[in-house]
Amino acid sequence: MIYLDYGATSFHKPPAVYRAAEKAMHCCANPGRGGYGAAMEAAKTVFDCRAAAAELFSCESDQVVLTASCTHGLNIAIRSVVKPGDTVVISGFEHNAVTRPLYALGADIRVAGRKLFDWDDTLTEFERALKGADAAVFTHVSNVFGYILPVGEMAALCRQRGVPFILDAAQSAGTLPVDFSALGAEFIAMPGHKGLLGLPGTGLLLCSQPGKPLLFGGTGTQSIRKEMPEQLPERLEAGTMNVPGIAGLTQGLKCLKRIGTDTIFRQEQQILGHCVRGLVGQGFRVFAGAHQAATVSFLPGMDCEEAAENLAKRGIAVRAGLHCAPLAHESAGTLETGTLRVSPGYDTTLGQIDVFLRASAKLPPFPS
Amino acid sequence: MRYYFITFRSVTYAQQGERLLKGSGFRCALQRTPRWMEEQGCGYALKIRAAGIEPAAAMLAERQIPIRKVYLQKPDGQLEEVPHDLS
Repeated sequence: MIYLDYGATSFHKPPAVYRAAEKAMHCCANPGRGGYGAAMEAAKTVFDCRAAAAELFSCESDQVVLTASCTHGLNIAIRSVVKPGDTVVISGFEHNAVTRPLYALGADIRVAGRKLFDWDDTLTEFERALKGADAAVFTHVSNVFGYILPVGEMAALCRQRGVPFILDAAQSAGTLPVDFSALGAEFIAMPGHKGLLGLPGTGLLLCSQPGKPLLFGGTGTQSIRKEMPEQLPERLEAGTMNVPGIAGLTQGLKCLKRIGTDTIFRQEQQILGHCVRGLVGQGFRVFAGAHQAATVSFLPGMDCEEAAENLAKRGIAVRAGLHCAPLAHESAGTLETGTLRVSPGYDTTLGQIDVFLRASAKLPPFPS
Repeated sequence: MRYYFITFRSVTYAQQGERLLKGSGFRCALQRTPRWMEEQGCGYALKIRAAGIEPAAAMLAERQIPIRKVYLQKPDGQLEEVPHDLS
């Protein structure tokens, strides 16, 4: 199989990730729930992950909350920052992990900036929408189109206007710089199993404030209290943690540090360019432009789901449909059709893209 | 050399402290806090072997790792709380 769905998960992990998870299953008991060796080993395993993440994202280890997913982190973050009825600015490229919690809270949502790959439009619209807003939530990279939003400038606008903001780094963590202290976000949420090369069931939430717990329960500390502890990260981490997953995530983070996220980004840009040129040459409608991460959507002259099925039969794994981001499709005018999304990853080769392009050449071109 | 016990508000603070102090050459170990030491129930403490607590406490304060309490182990094995506020 040629795997080109890294936007969904980094299906191929570095071997050290699997080894660490396997070892943790044998050596780690429940962290923070005992003083014997296996419990202390588990506690150390968890702390090692916090420390590795803190180093990569420029924060303190107690600001790193370990979550079950990026969605989990976003739900905590949104419920901590947004109150029912608040006016919240979001970009036109948000995932349901952002929009659904906001709708559920009854937020007044302002969508700002709907032109793909257009930083001027994004910033102009975003700045206009910030007036009178209570909060902002925006993605770093569109999971559908790979559009890299100008988050440094958007963060600066929020800081200037005193609007608290949350960054969804689901598609950027591991390939683009994410500097928590420089951005000044209230929270940054990210998955552990995508660009960070860890296992599913893991995520990170970087916090600049204690936040509101989404789950209540045991933390292994201050057990007499009826309330959750006031201190991070335990305040937001009720219940038993996914220690094998966390052990794997630590190795993913170490692997990123060794390779360098800038190296991965450069490599993926080369792959992206090759892929885009090939798809354009085959007559598809290709969504490509400046400020694009290694994710490209395209439209062939047939139903996207059927096209993906066709490619799957040829051993190519890509994702079709709405990608849990109907707002992004609405912005791009593809809500009715969906798109075919190709998202290579850290270990994708030019040769694999050539194999994919030989298979995609069998699909009908987009009607002119 | 004496043994001191430093208690923290969270296991993560205790772990931050352990990493900091070990990295600075202190001999210390992370362990569960004896129940009587932690009125809020369940916690972690650092057991430190040192001539005095001031250098370790100062280092923790500099890195803004909050300490709850400090105890000194007396020759008879009993623990007594000692002040640690250096401000």
